[in-house]
Amino acid sequence: MSALMQVEGVHRAFSVSRGLFARKRTLHAVNGIDLEIEKGEVLGIVGESGCGKSTLARILLGLIPASAGRIALSGTDLRGLDRRVLAARVQPVFQDPYGSLNPRKRIASIVALPLAVHGMGDRTEQRRRAIEMLERVGLPARLADNYPGQLSGGQRQRVAIARALVMRPEIVICDEPTSALDVSVQSQILNLLMDLRQEFGLTYVFISHNLAVVEHIATRVAVMYLGRVVELAPAAEIFARPRHPYTQALLASVLTPEPGKGLPDTHLGLAFPDPLDPPPGCGFNPRCAYARAVCRERVPAFSEDGPAKAACHAYDPTFGKEFA
Amino acid sequence: MSALLSVEGLTVDLAVPAGTLHAVRDVSFEVARGETLCVVGESGCGKSMTALALMGLLPRNARRRARRLVFDGVDLAAASPARTNALRGAKLSMIFQEPMTALNPAYTIGNQLCEVYRRHKGGSRAAARERAAFLLGKVGIAAAGERLGQYPHQLSGGLRQRVMIAMALMCGPSLIVADEPTTALDVTIQAQILKLLKDLQAEFGMALVLITHDLGVVARIADRVAVMYAGEVVERGTAAQVFAAPRHPYTAGLIDCIPVPGRTKPGERLGAIPGTVPALVGTIEGCAFRQRCAFAQPACASAPPVHADAGHEWACVRGAA
Ligand SMILES: Nc1ncnc2c1ncn2[C@@H]1O[C@H](COP(=O)(O)OP(=O)(O)OP(=O)(O)O)[C@@H](O)[C@H]1O
Ligand SMILES: Nc1ncnc2c1ncn2[C@@H]1O[C@H](COP(=O)(O)OP(=O)(O)OP(=O)(O)O)[C@@H](O)[C@H]1O
Ligand code: SF4
Ligand SMILES: [Mg+2]
Ligand SMILES: [Mg+2]
Repeated sequence: MSALMQVEGVHRAFSVSRGLFARKRTLHAVNGIDLEIEKGEVLGIVGESGCGKSTLARILLGLIPASAGRIALSGTDLRGLDRRVLAARVQPVFQDPYGSLNPRKRIASIVALPLAVHGMGDRTEQRRRAIEMLERVGLPARLADNYPGQLSGGQRQRVAIARALVMRPEIVICDEPTSALDVSVQSQILNLLMDLRQEFGLTYVFISHNLAVVEHIATRVAVMYLGRVVELAPAAEIFARPRHPYTQALLASVLTPEPGKGLPDTHLGLAFPDPLDPPPGCGFNPRCAYARAVCRERVPAFSEDGPAKAACHAYDPTFGKEFA
Repeated sequence: MSALLSVEGLTVDLAVPAGTLHAVRDVSFEVARGETLCVVGESGCGKSMTALALMGLLPRNARRRARRLVFDGVDLAAASPARTNALRGAKLSMIFQEPMTALNPAYTIGNQLCEVYRRHKGGSRAAARERAAFLLGKVGIAAAGERLGQYPHQLSGGLRQRVMIAMALMCGPSLIVADEPTTALDVTIQAQILKLLKDLQAEFGMALVLITHDLGVVARIADRVAVMYAGEVVERGTAAQVFAAPRHPYTAGLIDCIPVPGRTKPGERLGAIPGTVPALVGTIEGCAFRQRCAFAQPACASAPPVHADAGHEWACVRGAA
């Protein structure tokens, strides 16, 4: 079976300078990613702030080009795809619905805009379909002529979801879709996303720093660190048996609401990752309790371990598993 | 034994173009020496205003009233601004969510840490620097001597937050008020910093009022919990009481909303609280939660009674189960 979306050796570098007079340096925000996104799955992407999640999302959406590597949608290279064709099939939902909704447009026209861009139906038909989608995501039709500023955060996120779905895309890329929302609103949006996935047969890429949310909604999880995927496994597997030391620390850090459990000891060093100055070898080695000489010399390749893949020397059979 | 901090009937009103916004409405709680109280609630419920009211740092359009506001024997409600200033930063200190609001970008870390110390404790510059280096080491900052010469923008978010903690500790406070100290940080760093705060608290015997909207943080760090909704404390008790047997329907609803590995099944529907929070401008009659509450009854239109059960208190017409 071929994947709906294929990501092969994708890189993205930015040229940045650290101060007014400092010379430009290259920041590898995405540093060689291979992924296959299967039809119908929910691929969760987690990882430290700045590890390249949003950059990857923007590349998948065709909003920025990759500096190297190839992305294919149902076998067709993204570079050969018309921007509008791509937009009809892959749609985003971002963290901050306020920033992504035009404040001077009414809700119904915001949701109808993709239809207008694609010249689908006349104005009446476009409005009818927009209102239908608004109702589907739980917004009453009477709000159709309101402006974004008149809605709550949760309602605005529903508008963003309606706009993403009105073209009936195949893939929805959700970048922190509930991070700006209160937990009582977050649960409403998560329930909605799960319902819509069933109803429309959607495939999601779901980026979040909230591990409990990812565990709840994802079917497969990619863990990123400093621009690379360091572990990839079915969701149930990764949460039951995290392989990579970073994944282990990440899961240990999740504070579930269980009083009496106290605070976890993450066994992490204090060397926070700096994408402008990544360490040689495994990007995680300065914080890793298991690091040894080889970790500071060579970037670990993926090793398969049951249903999971981890990029860590401890799982490389040629180095033995004695320190895992 | 008397409490370190005793708050009774705290009210904060804000003058806004639409009228008077009742940000904090008749809030009461106590904090014992060495204890951790978590104040939890959703955005806009008045957590930060409560913290700022304790510190005497409310915005200009705010008015604070309280039946009782006593910290370590000092009546804060009656204290002069000079008296409050002398306490603040010394025996009573605060950690803000965004360290850049509290750190001055124009001065080095070392200058700022030393300034706090010398303002309250006097002493030589060398003594202040020694204390600053000692505390930076305590908050896990390696090469402390070198860091003292750096400016805030040269540090990562996690490091800045540690510097804020060190600054709050400089004068050996008996109470630290921390307003969302780890909300902006990654989960691994959050766990590290909260652990650090808890260890330092045990070592120096400080009390901690920690404000957060994260129930996970509350469960893991709090001795006692106050749950706020629309400017009021609707439930309080020990962490064990509040999480094992939440009494107020809002608290119970909030706990049901979050996915908890092991308790909620992946892919299953999560609990939800319908509706939205009421506007805080104008008066609120009766229970503020009643429009969203599955148990609402006619009696909820008048102020709900406060029930108490072994130190667990909640304001709701529904009594003990
Ligand atoms: N346009 C840009 N120019 C320069 N650097 C950039 C640009 N966009 C992103 N970066 C840098 O690339 C790295 C990855 O950023 P990205 O936004 O993808 O991270 P992220 O994983 O989404 O983080 P977060 O969890 O904080 O959203 C960061 O170091 C960021 O500062
Ligand atoms: N300077 C101000 N002027 C007028 N109203 C304000 C001001 N600051 C806050 N408010 C309002 O007061 C209420 C309480 O705000 P507060 O900042 O205490 O909430 P919070 O519980 O800390 O929320 P969050 O979790 O978002 O930080 C809110 O309705 C808010 O909009
Ligand atoms: S490769 Fe080495 S440093 Fe990297 S995670 Fe594995 S053990 Fe740790
Ligand atoms: Mg991002
Ligand atoms: Mg606040």
